Amino acid sequence: MNKKIISLIGISCTALVLSACGPSVKRIDATGNEGLVTVDDVNFKDWQIAAEKGINSLLESGVLNRADGRKSILMISTVKNSTTQHIDTRILTDKIRQALLRSGKALTTTAVGGNGPDDAASKQVRRLEEDDMFNQTTVQKRGTAIAPDMSLSGEIVQQQSSQGRMRESYFFFHMALTDLATGLAVWEDNVEIAKQGKKPLLGW
Amino acid sequence: MKTLYLISISCLLLIGCQATVNTVENEQKTMQVEAVDTSKVSTDAFLKNRLEVVAVNKKELADGLLKVQVTARNIRTGFWAQVSSWFMGDNPYQIAYRFTWLDIDGMQVNTATSTWIPLTVVPGDTVRLNAISPNSRCKDFTLSIRENDAARG
Repeated sequence: MNKKIISLIGISCTALVLSACGPSVKRIDATGNEGLVTVDDVNFKDWQIAAEKGINSLLESGVLNRADGRKSILMISTVKNSTTQHIDTRILTDKIRQALLRSGKALTTTAVGGNGPDDAASKQVRRLEEDDMFNQTTVQKRGTAIAPDMSLSGEIVQQQSSQGRMRESYFFFHMALTDLATGLAVWEDNVEIAKQGKKPLLGW
Repeated sequence: MKTLYLISISCLLLIGCQATVNTVENEQKTMQVEAVDTSKVSTDAFLKNRLEVVAVNKKELADGLLKVQVTARNIRTGFWAQVSSWFMGDNPYQIAYRFTWLDIDGMQVNTATSTWIPLTVVPGDTVRLNAISPNSRCKDFTLSIRENDAARG
């Protein structure tokens, strides 16, 4: 009887220990503020804030409106990463290009981009004119793709400071829209995000 | 009695350390604003006692987009409010807000970036929450404001 009780206690204790060691994972609202905040990194909330503020500023500026009524064609140029972290700036540019597309003010081209075309297909399909497998009347002709009017570029700069156990990161998201006909920047804005954290007494 | 005296002095010192914002502005306004009723702003009861919505203005831009501005003021000023704010840890006050856009039929317009934007509001300060509609189909909006517990120290 005693052995049974001891076994039961043992099993219960093991179950308790195992459940305590289990991973604690949950889904969070990607648009909320519950995400992790780290001092040195650009967290997903930072991208969202930078994109939202940048888009609001760009739409309000009215630079996308053309006198001829045609929609402006935008290419996504490079967003230079001048931070100490490896970050993919595509999160920012994709959000901006989607917002501009939905605004009805501009169209973005995927045939040309600062880091090469987003979609190489526009070029690839034109090579089919040398391929007798394809009905040549259905092959996209040369000289039909539309060249961009404007280019969106930017830079993300990080400045770090520390004092005692306090650490601080300042991220400067700079965005610019260049009129490709004149080479002039017709819109520029920046979003600043500053984060502060305290190192624990033990560990790092 | 001595203890009570010490506690009162400590409280006064602590309150003295908390910053509030003082503002000065021109009385004769030249701006012409288009005010909208504030029934479309939603806040919880707790927030209502801290953040007062002063005005909601809108402006239609030349290209048909709508710009809205909600002016809110942190009304937790004064001695007892400051004592309470210090005790509750909400000075400065951390909020998050999000605009939702609706078309002429009242349907929500999906946007590429609708997200909760965090903001710090110092007692006595007036903040202006701005947004531009994502496209010209948007005719109406709602603004949600909530406490940003994640930003509290």
